[in-house]
Amino acid sequence: MKILKRYKALAMITASLLFVACAHEDQPGESQLDYSERDKTELDKWIDSSFLDPYNIKIYYEWNQNLVDNTKYLFPPTVEKVQPALEVVKKIWIDSYSTIGGKDFVKKIAPREFVLVGGLNLNTNGTLTLGLAEGGQRVTLFQLDYLNRKSCPEVTEFIHTIQHEYVHILNQTKPFDEQAWAKLTPSGYTTSWYTESTATSRSLGFITSYARLNIYEDFAETASVILTSSKAEYAALLAGVTDVNGKANIKKKEAIVVQYYKDNFNIDFYALRDEAQKNTDIVISN
Amino acid sequence: MKKHIYKYLIVAFVAIVLGACTSTEADQKFDQTPTERLNAQKKELQDVLLSSAEGWKAVYYTDSTQLGGWTHLFKFLPDGKVDMASDFDEDTDIHRSQYELQLGSTVSLVFTTANRIHLLSQSDNFPTAELYGKGYLGDFQFFYYGQQNGEIIFRSNRNFRELRFVKATAKDWTDLPQNTPIIESITGEITSPLFRLLEENDGSAIKQYEFDFNSDARFGRATALAEGSDETFGLALSYTPTGAISKTPVIIKGQKLSNFIYDSASNTFVAKGTGGVSATIKYTNAPPRLTDDYKKLTDGQPQYVLGYLAANLYSASTTSDYFRSIIAKTNASLPANQSISRIQVYFNSGGANFIEYRFNGGRPAVYHNFTTSSNDTSKTLLLTSDSWEDNAGFIPAPAFLKNLDAEFFTPGGLYVKKENFTVTYTNPIYTITSSTTSFRMTTYQL
Repeated sequence: MKILKRYKALAMITASLLFVACAHEDQPGESQLDYSERDKTELDKWIDSSFLDPYNIKIYYEWNQNLVDNTKYLFPPTVEKVQPALEVVKKIWIDSYSTIGGKDFVKKIAPREFVLVGGLNLNTNGTLTLGLAEGGQRVTLFQLDYLNRKSCPEVTEFIHTIQHEYVHILNQTKPFDEQAWAKLTPSGYTTSWYTESTATSRSLGFITSYARLNIYEDFAETASVILTSSKAEYAALLAGVTDVNGKANIKKKEAIVVQYYKDNFNIDFYALRDEAQKNTDIVISN
Repeated sequence: MKKHIYKYLIVAFVAIVLGACTSTEADQKFDQTPTERLNAQKKELQDVLLSSAEGWKAVYYTDSTQLGGWTHLFKFLPDGKVDMASDFDEDTDIHRSQYELQLGSTVSLVFTTANRIHLLSQSDNFPTAELYGKGYLGDFQFFYYGQQNGEIIFRSNRNFRELRFVKATAKDWTDLPQNTPIIESITGEITSPLFRLLEENDGSAIKQYEFDFNSDARFGRATALAEGSDETFGLALSYTPTGAISKTPVIIKGQKLSNFIYDSASNTFVAKGTGGVSATIKYTNAPPRLTDDYKKLTDGQPQYVLGYLAANLYSASTTSDYFRSIIAKTNASLPANQSISRIQVYFNSGGANFIEYRFNGGRPAVYHNFTTSSNDTSKTLLLTSDSWEDNAGFIPAPAFLKNLDAEFFTPGGLYVKKENFTVTYTNPIYTITSSTTSFRMTTYQL
């Protein structure tokens, strides 16, 4: 017992020495690496006041190889193209959701980072990647340098990318009824969607060929195509589908999307579409 | 037993404590820490980039095994801006964008917003099929590897090619636009001959090479024409106001020739050595390798029908721009809903030879009857006009077909070649090429 006591004492002393030994460690200071940032340009200030401050969204337009796929031959946007493209994003995407979903809707649920790329992301199978949403945090938008704000098809395609990626982010926050969706057109999904024609895909109950990749892309495509079409355009799209089953399935998917927005975000999906259309018209005519 | 456990525990504990006191500091091989050295490198690069009054010049060979070089001029400004010009296309003006010196494993120069150098990295703009999705293999992030003889040495981020920045002069900036006419000369116009030769003169004899040049890629491959020779080499070209410079020299009698000077009188690029040694890049209307395929179309042979189908063959790689321009002009002279759909040339068809011109838009076909002869020296087939017909009978020569039709009846004759590729269908492809103009029609054997 006596021995044990002595060891206990020894152990206590050693332990306290150990702690004392740590007391003089240098605390980490500022990085010695020169990470000083350059002065903000007018564009930087505009981005801060339009995206970072109100919506907590960071925009990367300068090249940073860590934010892109370096095996692809991409390039950063031309400086002069950045603000016009971001104005389109702000007007058609953010403003529409803010008006219908509430002022802070996008601030609460949004990708925290946007990476802008000037060039096209052409894949070796001939397909074009228009956008990427990674982990619900970061959205990459391609072909910024080619956006013509006066062209309705170009603006629609550009906004389609954002709407599509944003639907993914909404899904990552609140999942949609995946089981119900998966039952509708289970045999139509394929990884070689890019060899399929749009007409064939629609006759099988898919709004686009890309929707056939999996149910998540299907949901995002269904929602984003409706959001980027006017009521009349969407009606014309449906009227063009002659296959009765195909048309019925597209309509069933539409109903799930509408219900999803209502149940999870209390958003009237059709009101959101009309607002986006109104804002698209404003962008193109200005 | 318990006593021993405590003893061992204490010994182990003390050993750990003592071990913690061991100095792990390595001997310093440098006066500065790695961080300090990285920072110093960054400052060194920033200073040197700003130091040159007229900026820097870099001829960027992205991959000299399949592409040439593009001349770039840079003027770096202190606020992260850079003025840049290049001879990538005819826009040699100065454009401003941003750059940054980024820290990673080493210091790199990054052109962070789009400018001229990024034209080499457009996935959708590639000069050869092999480079689909890869543009011109260009990079715009370059790792700093120090300086040598006043030059800055970089390596590209993606594929590690060396790129050297040399101090630019005021003349470099005024010279750059003068590269454009040189580039236009080597690229040629739609009326330029379709083939190129590289001729090596060693002072006593001339050796010929077929020179398969891609003007977009700025790269040509020379293949010896001598019987039994399989000698081949590539030339990766960049341009100057006086001519072209090859990254790898042509070696003749031990002399290295790489500076090709443009001679406008003969429309050739000549690199001269000493003792009569020279290398010449020149155009030729005659294909460097002639075939005997024309013999299949002469009198007494079985029937051959060679048909140009506009829908499939207008955009074929062997259809020449000059042919397309004549087709376009001919179509323009027809009513708006009409155009040429087919040009079918019948040889030995029931003892007759004729060209059938077919049209879209309901216009009836017309036929040009001809006779053939051949020239076995130049390996050409000559067509001689006989008469014109439509389905009702003989007609005068239609005026709107005059220019197009005349190409088939050139007095120098036509080269005929069976190609080794197919388009859409499995039918063999034949080309019919004028010996005097850059007219080349691609046809199916029907």
